[in-house]
Amino acid sequence: MQTLQKQRLTGIGLALPVLIVLVVVFGIPLVQLFLTSLNAPMFSVSNYLRFLQDPANVRVVLQTVQISVIATAACLIVGYPTAYLIVAAPKRLRIVLIVLVMIPYLTSGLARTYAWIMILGDSGLINNLLLQFGIISSPLLLIYNRMALYVGMVHIMLPMMVLSLVSVMLGIDKSLMAAARSMGAPPFTAFCRVFFPLSIPGVRSATLLVFVICLGFYIIPASLGGLGDVMLSNFLASQVTTTFDLVSVATGSFVLLAIAIVVLSILGLDLSGTQGLAAQVPRRSRFARPSLIGWLTRSLTEFSTGFRAKRWTAHRYRPRGEGWLPEIGGKVLVLLVLTYLLAPSVVVIVMSFSSGSYIEFPPSGLSLRWYRSFFGNTAWYGAAWTSMEIGLAVALLSTIVGTLAAYGLSRTSPRLRSTLNVVILTPITIPVIVVGVACYFGLANLGLIGSRTGVILAQSIGAISYVVVIVSATLANFDRRLEQAAQSMRAGPLQTFARVTLPLIRPGIIGGAFLAFIHSFDEVVITSLVSGFSVTTLPLKMWENIRNAIDPTLAAVASLLTVLPMLWLIGMCVVWQRSESKAQFPIPSAAN
Amino acid sequence: MDQSPINAQIEFRTVTKLYGQIAAVRDMSLTVERGEFLTILGPSGSGKTTVLMLLAGFVAPSRGDILISGKSVAAVPAYRRDQGIVFQSYALFPHLTVRRNLEFPLEMRGMKVAERAQRVGLILERVHLQDFGDRFPSQLSGGQQQRVALARALIADPPILLLDEPLGALDRNLREEMQGEIKSLHKEFGKTTVCVTHDQEEALTLSDRIVVMRAGQIEQTDTPETLYDRPATQFVANFLGEANILENLDYVVESDSAQPTGTVPMIRPERLGIANTATPKSADGDRRQYVAGIVDDMIYAGPLRKYHVRVGGGVLVVREHVASGQQIFKPGDKVRLDWLRSDLRFVTA
Repeated sequence: MQTLQKQRLTGIGLALPVLIVLVVVFGIPLVQLFLTSLNAPMFSVSNYLRFLQDPANVRVVLQTVQISVIATAACLIVGYPTAYLIVAAPKRLRIVLIVLVMIPYLTSGLARTYAWIMILGDSGLINNLLLQFGIISSPLLLIYNRMALYVGMVHIMLPMMVLSLVSVMLGIDKSLMAAARSMGAPPFTAFCRVFFPLSIPGVRSATLLVFVICLGFYIIPASLGGLGDVMLSNFLASQVTTTFDLVSVATGSFVLLAIAIVVLSILGLDLSGTQGLAAQVPRRSRFARPSLIGWLTRSLTEFSTGFRAKRWTAHRYRPRGEGWLPEIGGKVLVLLVLTYLLAPSVVVIVMSFSSGSYIEFPPSGLSLRWYRSFFGNTAWYGAAWTSMEIGLAVALLSTIVGTLAAYGLSRTSPRLRSTLNVVILTPITIPVIVVGVACYFGLANLGLIGSRTGVILAQSIGAISYVVVIVSATLANFDRRLEQAAQSMRAGPLQTFARVTLPLIRPGIIGGAFLAFIHSFDEVVITSLVSGFSVTTLPLKMWENIRNAIDPTLAAVASLLTVLPMLWLIGMCVVWQRSESKAQFPIPSAAN
Repeated sequence: MDQSPINAQIEFRTVTKLYGQIAAVRDMSLTVERGEFLTILGPSGSGKTTVLMLLAGFVAPSRGDILISGKSVAAVPAYRRDQGIVFQSYALFPHLTVRRNLEFPLEMRGMKVAERAQRVGLILERVHLQDFGDRFPSQLSGGQQQRVALARALIADPPILLLDEPLGALDRNLREEMQGEIKSLHKEFGKTTVCVTHDQEEALTLSDRIVVMRAGQIEQTDTPETLYDRPATQFVANFLGEANILENLDYVVESDSAQPTGTVPMIRPERLGIANTATPKSADGDRRQYVAGIVDDMIYAGPLRKYHVRVGGGVLVVREHVASGQQIFKPGDKVRLDWLRSDLRFVTA
């Protein structure tokens, strides 16, 4: 009993650094903001009433919800069949498809947004081509409207939706479909009666996740949407940077937060009631990301391992042959989706080699002048260098404290663990602008606005969540008896961790560090609020460029940012494959 | 480590382990002698794994004390104890080769590289795995993994060896082979060994003594033969092998023994004889009880044939060794069962 209690105390102790950072940078200011919005110490809801009495505010709130609903629905409608087809594909093809969806997921959102500006703009790809072929005489208005906004939002969110759904669908035992078929169910009936119901919980959490992230969209509405397509984030950001009306910022943030929380809990609860899983679902919806990221590790492991017994049952009774029409239709759909996801980046990469003094497609000549311009301009490469440094610092900080927390949490009681998990994951489950606003005030309390330390702390808030999620997922698959075995051989707690636990969860830690770096390297919203114009990261520099003058150098930067995650991905696969083949390569002849 | 004796005595003094309000182990007292092979047998949930965890030091007792060679170890964490454990499904480190796995306990005890290598070489040879030192555990078959696990538990020469369902993951043929291996290793190394299992056959073949556990308490402790032949309770009788409980029947069970220990008469299926109703009674007929019945079912199991016979309101199981010239009965046949009255046992309910 003593040892157990001691263990639990150590567990909480290990999670302490994370909790302190979270509370100081994010928790306390969030409470302060809430109190401000309630006019503390008088406590009244007058601010909320005033906020909601202004028709302009109400319009922004409703519009935010409406845009998010439509974008989420579009993601779901396109994403579900795509995910289904990816899962149904033969293994090698499936891995290729998953990687192709993962590349845009890991590519800088700014680079992708920029790509759409290049495609839809007045002198963009589509208008240029149409003009060239004489189909139109003056440019069409393709950008700065609601349609462009949806195209951009769905483009950003679709990979997350598809990957989440693939993760869920891979967990569904395919032999169940075969069983249904053996009992006389035609393929479509088998799908409706067996596969679809089993996928519902995953669909719900993926949808909620996408919806809540959509609520916090800031860059796309500001760069692709029209003047009227303002979302709450834009409204709040402009309040922070221009008028700085504290009360109205606080009130607006909590209206947005309230929408997110209401949707997360009520929708989750309501649907769960019909399934009799009432107690678990709100938690599960918050843990939608674990499934996504945990899956990331899993699929990479699967990628590198030739044969896995646990997948065997799922494949043994795989039904085949669904008819030629669905098959061709499916191929066309997947092709279209992949084109939609990948073509913009390809366009940007091609354009970045343009030799003209402005960006055009197809480029009239090839040159490296924009890359030269990038590496020759201190403002650009300085920003890139700053981002790199900040990214590494964020990755280091969040990997260390996040791994400690995940390890500590894994030894506390399940109930405490899930509560603390919800707390730690808050920064990535609520709209990012709210996190940004809270961090702004948190760092202001500490006098760190406009400092690198401040930016690093603010970005670590989200990065820590990713590390905790992915390391926890790895620890969940880790066999505790290996630690007991080490201890039975006289390895003390530290030796056990260093010699057994750490080497075995290393892939998860590397993955977490990688995601933390990417998170930092692509962060705009929080950084723009806390940087105070004195710290210029690459995303901030890009964002400034997108908004003001479009410098063709941006094309070179965007291409570099597109190629970077591909290199990362390849590098990680190589590392994983090497460690896997060393430890897990099965030799059939040994099974005598 | 050189000072440590080759084996140790283990003593449980009224040990209780509570999880919340539930006692996984209650007031358990037990002594394991030096060099003894003791098996803790019980169904799942009987607390046998908790006993092992207590012994290993992964959980501390809520009440009572555990002594190893006379010294209390209740407060000593697992990594300060001197013991070897073979875990269920082995817990071999997947990221280390067989050799590195085997070196681990030696390294933790601060042994020099040269001596480690020598010991690893010796033990690999002893478990016939000298060519497999550089493989990873996943590249070994189940039986080879089992041998590595045994070698790893024994290599540092600990006075105590703990086995947690050691053969659970193996198929039947391999299990028999490994039983032989464990037995010969026990004989050779002379370690005090505590094995936890739910497999009665494993318990009967390996152990010097068996502890049968039920709901956190010891039901009976005895040698395998006594335990099987003279079970104290109906639970032990049923858990260890098959038992015919002769209770609530239409006929009177005749008894020889003057002072039966329990109240419920029980007889093992292999002690029953089955014959055609017309067969004359045997010479020792006056020491036997005869009852008539009807065959309900016949199950052929290789060397054995099992009959389910309806007798006076109940069903008795008869186990007969297959032999030539035997009459084979079919369901519906009228038969006569008989047994020696001295083969009856009386157990407590």
